[in-house]
Amino acid sequence: MMREKIKKARLQNIKQPYRDVMTTAGLLLATVALACFLFFFVSRSPINIALFFMVGAIMVARHTNGYIYGIFSSVFGVIFINCFFTYPYSHIDFTRPDYPFTFVCILALSLVTSTVTTNLKRQAEVLRFHEKQLAEAEKEKMRANLLRAVSHDLRTPLTGIIGSISAIKESGDGYSKEEFQELISNVYDDASWMLNMVENLLSVTKIHTGGSQFATTPEIVEEVVEEAVTRLKKRLPKAEILVQIPAEILMVPMDAMMVEQVLINLLENAVVHSKSQHPVQLFVQNQEHDVAFHVIDFGNGLNKEQLKHIFDGTYSKGPSADGQKGMGIGLSICHTIITAHGGTISAKNNERGAEFLFTLPKEEAHA
Amino acid sequence: MHKFTVLIVEDEKHINEFITKTLSANGYRTNWAASGKEGISLATSLCPDVILLDLGLPDIDGMEVIGQVRKWSRCPIIVISARIQEEDKVLALDAGADDYLTKPFGILELLARIRTSLRHSTQNSSGSLSQQLYHAKGLEIDFFRRTVSLDGGLIHLTPIEYKIVAYLAQNSGKVMTYTDVLNNVWGPYAENDNKILRVNMANIRRKLEKNPAQPAYIFTEVGVGYRMVDGGDA
Repeated sequence: MMREKIKKARLQNIKQPYRDVMTTAGLLLATVALACFLFFFVSRSPINIALFFMVGAIMVARHTNGYIYGIFSSVFGVIFINCFFTYPYSHIDFTRPDYPFTFVCILALSLVTSTVTTNLKRQAEVLRFHEKQLAEAEKEKMRANLLRAVSHDLRTPLTGIIGSISAIKESGDGYSKEEFQELISNVYDDASWMLNMVENLLSVTKIHTGGSQFATTPEIVEEVVEEAVTRLKKRLPKAEILVQIPAEILMVPMDAMMVEQVLINLLENAVVHSKSQHPVQLFVQNQEHDVAFHVIDFGNGLNKEQLKHIFDGTYSKGPSADGQKGMGIGLSICHTIITAHGGTISAKNNERGAEFLFTLPKEEAHA
Repeated sequence: MHKFTVLIVEDEKHINEFITKTLSANGYRTNWAASGKEGISLATSLCPDVILLDLGLPDIDGMEVIGQVRKWSRCPIIVISARIQEEDKVLALDAGADDYLTKPFGILELLARIRTSLRHSTQNSSGSLSQQLYHAKGLEIDFFRRTVSLDGGLIHLTPIEYKIVAYLAQNSGKVMTYTDVLNNVWGPYAENDNKILRVNMANIRRKLEKNPAQPAYIFTEVGVGYRMVDGGDA
């Protein structure tokens, strides 16, 4: 990789002067041709010709690197005009009194343009470099944010697990059977939740390592939905989910594991956070270009502050951060996964409860 | 009463301990091998009834253990692994493993899988044609008359659909990979394209399941294959 880069740079270094020479020659030739046309067919005024050459020199300075080509073009212009377009024709004659003056003027002008354009080019390069650095920094910041959020989110259930287990270890006999059962089932819940988190992270690394081109295969929607619901039920046996799927067989290109992860995250949020007894609805809709998945709950809904930042993984930093674990990361991971599939994801409040909607395009988005 | 012997090939001491405790409490005799080579030699000397095999072993890969054991034994192998990629599951199953459990797993699931594997292996060794009837919840399959009925009413399946359902039912409780089903239904020269199977499956689901997204009889393991609900207990 690195070696290739160096090779490329070297190649460019060799290529650059060659290209500059060609550009200079081409532009000067064009200038001469235009000047000849003007001189022989329109007017014989040397002032216009000189202006032409000035424009030519400026163009050369603009399109080449360094000062040499610009200076060369202006010197060439001055001599050329002197030789062919002023009296006596076909003779170089610098003895006319105003000539040094013209010469110096054109030379100065092209020097100034060369300097200005070279500077401009350099500045643009510096700007591009800075922008690249900024983008890198932004990515780095996102990664750091994610890691921080993850370690926070993993620490919370771990605290529960270690706490409960050490309580049992220290004074296991002191608890009644019910208390003991409760501690154990808390540990089980926390550990299961952590497992889901780890699977979430796995999906994300899959996207980041494979770039945006992770492998998708056509999957039958109901199979993916079925597996997601089954996996969630295994973890939350009491969860009630009503599934509605169109009767026709829908095939959508996707990474099944990741889409399942999205479904599980959304369904789990709906079951756990809505605090409602009403079963959660999962409703699949066949649309013209995509398939839409609605996850609808009948609970408290989302507040405005949540809605604004719900998918960027930051809002859980709020005052109630410690109260609810990891809803933020889960959703930001959903967002990453769906975006990588070329789909969209959104959240809104219904009259009762909240609704999450995501779509997956039927055709390969990144063919 | 005869106790079944389970060989656990697993390098993690803690995992081995919890499996051993559970199995002993449920009436199995257990042996532990901490490496692949030890596992192969114990499998040869003990002739266990079931082998629980971790794929990530310190010396040789678990896949190699499957290959070595399969050279001379049909003893059921249940793979227990942290590898969750579909390809890994398919590779292990197609190499001769009988079933696959992803870490972490619950003990109930482990016990159920062991029971299923044992039942299939004793059925095979007794030489009798597998059962004449498959029975689970409201679903009944008569392998002699080639009929499928749900809650007493006959269900019309195309010949291909019947073959798929019958094959899954004969191996109920176990994951059958796409390749497995394709080879058994369409024959060994079938194209290696699972699309036709999956479309057939979607149609079967519409005939058998009340809610295709929450099936009661045939479960999907996306990217791996299908598992029919265990009919043995009925």
